[in-house]
Amino acid sequence: MTALLDASPRRRTWDAFRRDPLGMGGAAVLLALAAVAALAPLIAPFPEGYGTDTLHPPSAAQWFGTDDVGQDVFAQVVWGTRVSVAVGLGAAALAVAIGALVGLCAAYVRRLDAPLGLAVDLCLSLPVLPLMILVAALAGPSVRTLAVVIAAFSWPEAARVVRARARSIVPLPFVSAARTVGGSPLWIVRRHLLPGVAPVVLTTAVLTTSRAVLAEAGLSFLGLGDPANWSWGTILHRAQQSGALASAWWTTLFPSVAILLLVLSTTLLAAAYTDARDHRDLP
Amino acid sequence: MRCGVLLAAGALVLMTACGAAPTTSGAPGVAKRGDRLTIGTTADVANLNPLVGNSRTDSWVTNLMYPHLMQMDAAGRRIPYLATDWAYAKDGRSATVRLRDDLTWSDGRPVTADDVVFSVNAVRKERFGVVAGLVTALDEARALSPTSLSFTFTRPDGTFLDNVGFWLPIVPKHVFEKAPSVQRFANDAAWVSAGPYRLTRVERGQRYVMERVESFGPGRPAVKEVVFRVYPDVNTQVLALRNGEIDLIANALPPATALALKGDPEISLVEVPSLGWAHLQYNTRREPLDDVRVRRALAHAVDYPAIREIALKGLASSARSSVLTPTQPDYADPGVHEYAHDPARARELLREAGVSGLSLDLIYDHADPKIARWAPMVRDSARKAGVTITLRGLERNTYMDRTHRRDFDVYAGSWAIMDNPPANLALAFRTGGFLNYAQVSDPALDRLIDQGGRALTREQARAPIRRAARIIHEQVYDNVLYVETLTVAHSARWTGFKPMPSELLSIVNPLSLAAVKPVS
Amino acid sequence: MRFIVVRLLRGLLTLWFAVTVTFFLVRLLPGDPVLAVADPGMTEELRAKLLADLGLDRPLGAQYADYLNRLLHGDLGVSFRQSVPVTTVLMERLPWTLLLAGSALLVTVGLGVPLGVLAATRARSLTDRVIQASGVTAQSLFVPSVGIFLLVVFGANLGWFPIGGAVDLDATGPAAWLSALHHLVLPCLTLALVQLGGYVLTMRATLVDALGADYVSLARAKGVRPRAVVWRHALRNALPPTAALAGLQLGTLVGGAVLTETIYAYPGVGRAVYEAVGRLDFPVLQGAFVLLAATVVVAGLLTDLACGLLDPRMRAS
Repeated sequence: MTALLDASPRRRTWDAFRRDPLGMGGAAVLLALAAVAALAPLIAPFPEGYGTDTLHPPSAAQWFGTDDVGQDVFAQVVWGTRVSVAVGLGAAALAVAIGALVGLCAAYVRRLDAPLGLAVDLCLSLPVLPLMILVAALAGPSVRTLAVVIAAFSWPEAARVVRARARSIVPLPFVSAARTVGGSPLWIVRRHLLPGVAPVVLTTAVLTTSRAVLAEAGLSFLGLGDPANWSWGTILHRAQQSGALASAWWTTLFPSVAILLLVLSTTLLAAAYTDARDHRDLP
Repeated sequence: MRCGVLLAAGALVLMTACGAAPTTSGAPGVAKRGDRLTIGTTADVANLNPLVGNSRTDSWVTNLMYPHLMQMDAAGRRIPYLATDWAYAKDGRSATVRLRDDLTWSDGRPVTADDVVFSVNAVRKERFGVVAGLVTALDEARALSPTSLSFTFTRPDGTFLDNVGFWLPIVPKHVFEKAPSVQRFANDAAWVSAGPYRLTRVERGQRYVMERVESFGPGRPAVKEVVFRVYPDVNTQVLALRNGEIDLIANALPPATALALKGDPEISLVEVPSLGWAHLQYNTRREPLDDVRVRRALAHAVDYPAIREIALKGLASSARSSVLTPTQPDYADPGVHEYAHDPARARELLREAGVSGLSLDLIYDHADPKIARWAPMVRDSARKAGVTITLRGLERNTYMDRTHRRDFDVYAGSWAIMDNPPANLALAFRTGGFLNYAQVSDPALDRLIDQGGRALTREQARAPIRRAARIIHEQVYDNVLYVETLTVAHSARWTGFKPMPSELLSIVNPLSLAAVKPVS
Repeated sequence: MRFIVVRLLRGLLTLWFAVTVTFFLVRLLPGDPVLAVADPGMTEELRAKLLADLGLDRPLGAQYADYLNRLLHGDLGVSFRQSVPVTTVLMERLPWTLLLAGSALLVTVGLGVPLGVLAATRARSLTDRVIQASGVTAQSLFVPSVGIFLLVVFGANLGWFPIGGAVDLDATGPAAWLSALHHLVLPCLTLALVQLGGYVLTMRATLVDALGADYVSLARAKGVRPRAVVWRHALRNALPPTAALAGLQLGTLVGGAVLTETIYAYPGVGRAVYEAVGRLDFPVLQGAFVLLAATVVVAGLLTDLACGLLDPRMRAS
């Protein structure tokens, strides 16, 4: 216990995190998925072309079975990991960057607080998925479009969280002190506000990733995905198109499980991290 | 806590808001099995005005309400419906049609020649829908008596009767003439119809309920009630069919589903020939596609049998690379043969044309399940011939827009119904034709197509049309990949369907639904 | 009173924002709305006439002003494709979306709050862990996957629930209500399942904090029974964040109905949006967004009002 108290906050968070099996499990799954995404070309060939063995259930040769044109579903899921992870991370990074910027501005610049807060609230009350459908149809299907569209409708959530957190830091004595001694706003934000909001930014980023993965899957499932690339939603969309969704369970189950794994592990990771921070001072 | 209760109460208020919906939707009495045929469709009716609506669901529903002059048999020949017989004058400048006298509108008035004249003129005057493009030769339509009428033409047009007879829905003049614009007339209530069934109830997003017309002239339908139910997705449709919630899936099944349902004793599959074809078109105004050798090379670079076997699961037949498909036995030309899949020959032709490193964009509607399957196969087999094809799967409206502007190298698509070769070739290959996506402009071809159009009988039209089709084949103005064998599924508890070609008619055409009955 | 006025104004502002955003977004869609209505073979003159008929020939600003003006009079315009008023098209569908979203909310709160309480009172026990884990897992599910699974198992294989639609054709009176409920079970369950986790976790987290707070210890010291402590004192403090969450998630809930409605062939507004995008039916699209946004605003207003009246502290925020 003494050792714990002596250690740095970061160290203590890590020690608390390490003892959470769910968080560690989530991190492990995420690392595995990241590895699959990065090493996809080594694991399976890019699914294209066709085979004569169509809609074959899982077997030793094709672990996840084949789809209606005889492509290997395993290869599709492996390559789908790339797009799903890329869209998830890309959208989250963009959304959190915008959200943090807006949130910090709102919290720090008093005059901007009311209008930005209102803007965030307005955006939060829009029916997001139908709007995404509209914009995705508008912008045409590509991986980049999907990431931008999802980010465009996810940043308000991040902004709300960052703003709330930053607003609790701005009135603190050290910030006022920095202001009085004439620190430049940029310096104050960087030196005091950013470190203060970093934990919530991190948590929000992770949660936004999981939401972005679900959104990507939803849009791709509705046929608004990138037809030249594989994502988990695209696999489900193709299964739906070919009428195999309900009959060939393997075309549905494996991409669904992949989505679940990624979303679940990110959520667990975020929860464990928050928990570890909150409880790092407890024995 | 109270806050939560209030929240829940709020939700309850929301729920009560819909109080009206379930209670108004009741029909008296529960229908006995065999009294009701429930049909699954994948979309809502977009427009109940038969002159405007053009989606498949629109046609399925309105075809049961509004008669046409003619129907089509399995070979694409016209057979009587409202019209009993028809003929051109010797010079081809006029035609007469006689009507049956036993069809009445649901408000009691008879269906007469005046209604036919009104329908033709409405379409011609406001120029909308499929039919407007098919009646350009019409000079005047005139009712001679309640059961006969005549058409006069500005030029001989042997495609007119077949086109108008099959495509034009006949609407009640005394109802539609009250609308300031027939095209903007919604026809969304108090329907006056004359088909075998009349629409009684519309629940958008859910179902369309139709009741049989007891006094329907050609014979009382056997089934009391036909219900169209909307399922946005074929997978749920199949589950519902297996569960007995629906008796028939109106849309043609995806090939994989058709195979999966084969052998299910509760379900009968009906094969319906397609009147259309799936094809690739090359933009003949773009270099180097303006060179016939390049187009031929591309034709040799497609693996036709693989597309039919894998993407279509064998549920397609060869069209012998001709626009006169086997579904048109009166026109089909046995002397034409399919382009062989021969990458070496393709390379050779490209070399002859002095083209190397050819790279093309291929546009298609990525929501079309079949094309989305074979477009990658076209790309892969072209690679073997040294041609790089980049797939551009587009959202439907963008695709239509690009097609309309002829903004593509290679176009992948399919025609649903090409039922009348002389008329269809004019639209698709004559200089300036509005379906002439490849931008063909070939004077010899134009002459032959015109000659076929003027011919008053199929026999006279056959020779010029075959010669036109040969030119299209040799010049690769169109690269026909296959003719689909459409498969529709219905519950084995029903029998007596009368299948007709094309998804539009299939087994949900009015004559078929008037004849169907439960298995006793 | 001032609180109510502020909330109302805010609601109106939100509506205006939704209308404006969608009005301009819709008009940026690629493709030609006239092409979706008429044949591509139309002449230029016919095209001009159609554009005029649909009101698309005027400058965007004028179209926008006109749209707002009509909207104030409750007129959502006339559908391009169906030639009937948008209100006719959508009002028939809105109740189903409300029913679906409302009942899903009810089920979510009804299950989420007790589960959260249970988890909090037994913090760090096995029960707590199981509840948390299930909540998080449910939250991570992909709606179409759950939908297909439930349909195949409970609809097709067991035959307990219908495959699609919202109510039986033959049912009348009370039977119609029962039938509607019967059709509602699977879609409602799906939608509730994916929302549940958030409520359980929020409820648990705030309750754990509240249970450690001074006034709870005081109550305990005064000898109030533990269960009574939880329900009377701690819960009151833990509910506002939950209500706030409900307010926040309304948008997701109503929007998320699109996927649910698609899978279950449920005749709601969400499905209409998806179809209207494909048909370039601008008025229907706009109308659907207006209705969805209005639903969110009204429901949010109700939660705000209810909770604000109960808990004076919330009025200040």
